[in-house]
Amino acid sequence: MMSITQQTNASELTFGAKVSGFFQNYYIYFVLVAVVAILASANLDQFDLFERGNFLNKRNIINILRISAPLLVLAGTFTLLMVSGYIDLSVGSVMGLSAVVYALLAINGVPFLPAFVLTMIIGAGLGAINGLLVVRLNITPVIATLITLSLFKGAALLLVQDGVSAIKSGNGLKMPSWFNSYGREGVLLNLPASFWVAAAVTILLIIIQNRGTLGKYAAATGGNPTAAKLSGINTGRTVFTLYVIVGVSAALAGIARSSFMSLGDPLSGDGMELTAILVVLLGGTAFSGGEGKVLRSFVGALIIMALTVGMLTIVPAYYQAFVIGSALLLAAASNHFISQKGKAS
Amino acid sequence: MSIVTEPFQILKLHRKMSDEAFITMLVTMVAIGLFLTASFLVPNFFQWQNVVNLVTNNWAVISLGIGVSFLLVSGNFDLSVGGIVALSGVLSVWFAQSTGGTNPLSTGLGFPYPLATICALGGALAIGAMNALFVVRFKIPSIIVTLGTMMVARGIAQIITHGSQRNTNLPSEFGFLGNLTMFGTSIKLPVVLMIVLLLIAVFVERKMVFGRITYWIGANPEAADLSGIDRAWHITKLYLFSAAIAGVVGILLASEYQSGFSNRGLLMEFDALVIALLGGVAITGGFGSVIGMFFGAIILAVVTSAATGLVLSPDWQFILKAVAVFLAIVTQTWALARRNR
Repeated sequence: MMSITQQTNASELTFGAKVSGFFQNYYIYFVLVAVVAILASANLDQFDLFERGNFLNKRNIINILRISAPLLVLAGTFTLLMVSGYIDLSVGSVMGLSAVVYALLAINGVPFLPAFVLTMIIGAGLGAINGLLVVRLNITPVIATLITLSLFKGAALLLVQDGVSAIKSGNGLKMPSWFNSYGREGVLLNLPASFWVAAAVTILLIIIQNRGTLGKYAAATGGNPTAAKLSGINTGRTVFTLYVIVGVSAALAGIARSSFMSLGDPLSGDGMELTAILVVLLGGTAFSGGEGKVLRSFVGALIIMALTVGMLTIVPAYYQAFVIGSALLLAAASNHFISQKGKAS
Repeated sequence: MSIVTEPFQILKLHRKMSDEAFITMLVTMVAIGLFLTASFLVPNFFQWQNVVNLVTNNWAVISLGIGVSFLLVSGNFDLSVGGIVALSGVLSVWFAQSTGGTNPLSTGLGFPYPLATICALGGALAIGAMNALFVVRFKIPSIIVTLGTMMVARGIAQIITHGSQRNTNLPSEFGFLGNLTMFGTSIKLPVVLMIVLLLIAVFVERKMVFGRITYWIGANPEAADLSGIDRAWHITKLYLFSAAIAGVVGILLASEYQSGFSNRGLLMEFDALVIALLGGVAITGGFGSVIGMFFGAIILAVVTSAATGLVLSPDWQFILKAVAVFLAIVTQTWALARRNR
């Protein structure tokens, strides 16, 4: 009797686990399709904001993907960091600082490639500072990256001279003509280089997550730090590396946005840490670490960008903070319920 | 004989002081030391009026810091207080504005002012309840939850004010509370309220069961659970208190400026967290004091106002804050490790 009931229970639960597993793996694509379908079916003729016509208009899609480049390039590395159980609240400030640095280099006559590489190196350095604070000095990640959030933001603001809000043409200096081609000019399928860099970074990270040791180490560190340490993984080095690559991708995001807007705005990354967390949670990554997929965060980023751009046509801009905040809470709550179901079975 | 034992007795007395009292004393001494240093460097800094200003200019952040410190001691973040300040201020204005204005932003609900403040406080408590629901019931990390509710609260304020502010068609008594001066001096009601709140907080923290339970929960959640403490309800109460304080601060600020501005209290949640950390409250939980938080606020105020006195650009404040928190955390860890060696 006992064994029979147990068996039936077990088989029922495995079925439940299968369903919730399937849901966990693929729901994000349904959400994307649903969001796009809703936005596409809305009768937007009276708004005249999607450049004459439907949400699925080619120009509109290209525009959304162009604006998404900074978030897309950040989503993957941020996922890996959160999979390892750590967090970086300073990404917005790293973005702002690298946008300013990149614009400063460009306006002072440094050609594209050196400016690009130098900004990336600075991003790596900023990430390394985070890594040192967290790994070496053992400061709680939230506090450590709050400190650097303030620090990098201050540095970015100081680099822009008083009385001007951003680095731009003027005072005898002129932005070079190539400056906004990285983030705007279509190179392939009418999409700019910034988008293709984001796509390449994501593919690279998917390979790293599935095949590379870094991905495995990150998951092990997040799943059970003590066990990871005992099985010989250098968790400190893993976390440090992850902070550095998050720094680099935040710098890439800063370059993309700076190039798109044609100016170096120290505040251009404000709130990015929130959007990044939202995107990663939407992708089903558990905040406690150990679980999560880069590709799902990429899709999550597309959803958020489609929503924010699409929303602008339906409601005024001042609804955005409320919607993003609610989405964050909703994503966190649904994550909780999905993982709860998975654990119960 | 007595000559020999005396030094040991002093040593024993010294050991009797808890780690917490030690850190609080350290923070207090740093605050005073910094003030004296600034007095040397900055002309006209060493004045009674300046000391008063350092406290009165920061009444809002210090008041918020009380709720935030208690939550930190229990091992939870509250980053929603800045949003709640904006929300309750805007709500109090919206409820109090008379009906039938010329445009949407000058038309409110026309409640009498006392009712309007109560309803605004209700809005603040609703956000606090939301924090508690997500943190306690759904067990989502408090940093994520309160970042979300911070945006939700500010978002509602932005929707009500259409992203700007409401300041017309207000009843005449609206500006009364925030600008009421007391005891025939220039000290205003909000400052007195801050001092009263601080005193109550110190008493609750030191002498009442409620305060001690907060420490136990922060120090060891499982042990607290096992010893029969209703942890969920206790943290719920802490979130509600923090939201209530933030709500009152928002209403008083709205009254002081006679406007409901959706960007009011921006970054205040970070400042409240910063002063708590400067004051030795540990995010690992179970450690810290409200007095320390108060002197943490003084440290930050001295550093920023001295920087302004030395004619540094206001952009420096971000770097100064970062350096101050970094030094505070590193020295506190170092001092405690050395003391307990």
